[in-house]
Amino acid sequence: MWQNTKRVFLDSVEHILNAAAQLLPSVLAMLVIFIFTLVLAIAVRSVVRRLCNKLALDRRLREWGVAPVSSDSWASPTKLLTRISFWTVLLLGLFLGLSVLDTPVASAIDLRILEYAPRLLVAFAMFAIAVGIARVVERNVLIGAVNMGMQSARLIALGARWLVVLLGAAIALDHAGVGASVVPLAFGILFGGIVFALALAVGLGAKDLVARSLQRRFPDAGSVEAPPEQEEPRGGIHHV
Amino acid sequence: MSATSTGLSAVAESRAGGEILIALEAADRRSATDSAAAIRARLSERFSGCNATVLVTTAGTDPALVDPADAPDVPPAAPTLAGAAIAGQPSVLRTVLEEADRRGARAAALLSAAHDESLDWLGHLFQPILEADFDFVSPSYRRNRFDGMLNTAIVYPLVRSLFGRRLRQPTGSEAAFSVTLARSLLAQPAWRRDPAYAGSPAWLVGSILAGACRACQAWLGRWPGGAGPAEDASHALARIVGPWFHEMERHAERWQRVEGSEPVPTFGQGAALDGERSDVDVAALEDGFRLGLRELESLWGLVLPPATLLALRRAAAAPAGKARVSDPVWARIVYDFAVAYSVRAVERQQLLRSMTPLYLGWVRGFVEDVRELDADGTEERVEALCGWFEREKRYGIARWRWPDNFNP
Repeated sequence: MWQNTKRVFLDSVEHILNAAAQLLPSVLAMLVIFIFTLVLAIAVRSVVRRLCNKLALDRRLREWGVAPVSSDSWASPTKLLTRISFWTVLLLGLFLGLSVLDTPVASAIDLRILEYAPRLLVAFAMFAIAVGIARVVERNVLIGAVNMGMQSARLIALGARWLVVLLGAAIALDHAGVGASVVPLAFGILFGGIVFALALAVGLGAKDLVARSLQRRFPDAGSVEAPPEQEEPRGGIHHV
Repeated sequence: MSATSTGLSAVAESRAGGEILIALEAADRRSATDSAAAIRARLSERFSGCNATVLVTTAGTDPALVDPADAPDVPPAAPTLAGAAIAGQPSVLRTVLEEADRRGARAAALLSAAHDESLDWLGHLFQPILEADFDFVSPSYRRNRFDGMLNTAIVYPLVRSLFGRRLRQPTGSEAAFSVTLARSLLAQPAWRRDPAYAGSPAWLVGSILAGACRACQAWLGRWPGGAGPAEDASHALARIVGPWFHEMERHAERWQRVEGSEPVPTFGQGAALDGERSDVDVAALEDGFRLGLRELESLWGLVLPPATLLALRRAAAAPAGKARVSDPVWARIVYDFAVAYSVRAVERQQLLRSMTPLYLGWVRGFVEDVRELDADGTEERVEALCGWFEREKRYGIARWRWPDNFNP
């Protein structure tokens, strides 16, 4: 009985050791990949940081109103980009390392993740760019609307901002393959809604301005009802 | 304004020899030929020893000077001198400078049109160069009180306080200069370093005022620009004021050492035009200011110190018909925006266009002040504004040196 148990035990140990011996090169390879990935991630982080500093990215994005002006350098665009690039390379390296283990489950997961990661990254980048553009558009529209004397300038600017954000989100989701036909449909409904709201805002907030503008363009058309004001809304001032 | 007329009749006429080069702004062939003939005739009558050459500028990617007979049938839509720098096209001014240098012309001028024939405007323009050894003549024009408002509100007081010279209308697109100045301007590195900007009116006047050359101004009669459609205030602000903020950057070392201001020699008689109908809609100006404060205050917070924002809030809280931006606050605002332009606190076009409601707020008060005044009274009002710009220059210098410190 004892001999039998001992044989089974030794067989098991031998089996485990054999399996471990077979796995050891893969583990070593995985560790090498991890170390290499870590070095690569640090290098990428350094390159991205230098590139951002060279392009004065923080200053430019603050100037355009894309990034908020704050003394908190922890949340600066450069820091954000360096962190994202570092962790992206590290995570990709991790999945690549796990795929070396050659276990069926790990391989299947890794394959799907590695296949999906680039699309996800591009979609994320698209959305981030759209958010940045949306802020620039918002500020430009706000200044323009204020200078045109539109009382609902803020509303119009917000509408323009969300239009761009939505457009970016729809493109990003479509690229990432999320939601299939639901995304374009939802986007269409939301986009149409915002355009309608903007049209109302412009119509209600600047109807006088629009009427005057139409009357100037089509002086013979008597159907446009314009307020009884002068041609030039700012009065008789020539700025130049 | 009653300008000082500097008589130079005693100067020997024998000095007025050599060639005068005139570059006329592009016009259609017929009017260019007529204007050229009239200018030549008047110049030969006025400066008998001189040989006048009149050429027409062609705008576009490769500006050139051509004989009036070769001018295009249809004139270009955009003005050549002012337009060239903005569009990033090669400067017409450079072409004129090079031509003056090549010909060795004693005096050269870039003109946009023929002026009031009842005046000796060509004499006023060239006499200082040909007979009094001036290097640069800046033309000024008689205009209505509410015309050229950007010049009154910003450019004239700012340029005067920066460079200490009272050049009344430094924003014009016309100029006359000596060949010495032409050669000196051509030697400037800005043509190579900043070709899209070099040659603009602000660059030209800034270079001259910051340099050592002798400058004067000449009143050429009524403004030749005509009563075209009024340009939108925000576009005009970005187009006119932006280059002057750029000049502040370029000559920062120079203007920080200047204190006060002195008159420049003036030729001809200048004054604002009287009899103007005052139909300015001040309520619209006030509404524009209030709307701007409500919607753009957060953006202005990146540019203006808290004390100025508080002053603006108080101004906007005044009863209807009373809201206005006072002169000292306005002077500080202009300096603050110049600093923000320099440090790029906000994208430059956005920054300049966001200044519009503040400008309207100041214009509203100015219109109210001068509504019942005559030309001399209006000029006194402008003098008061210029005084504030000069007094607040210390503030401007402090903000320029320490832009992060809102309470110098």
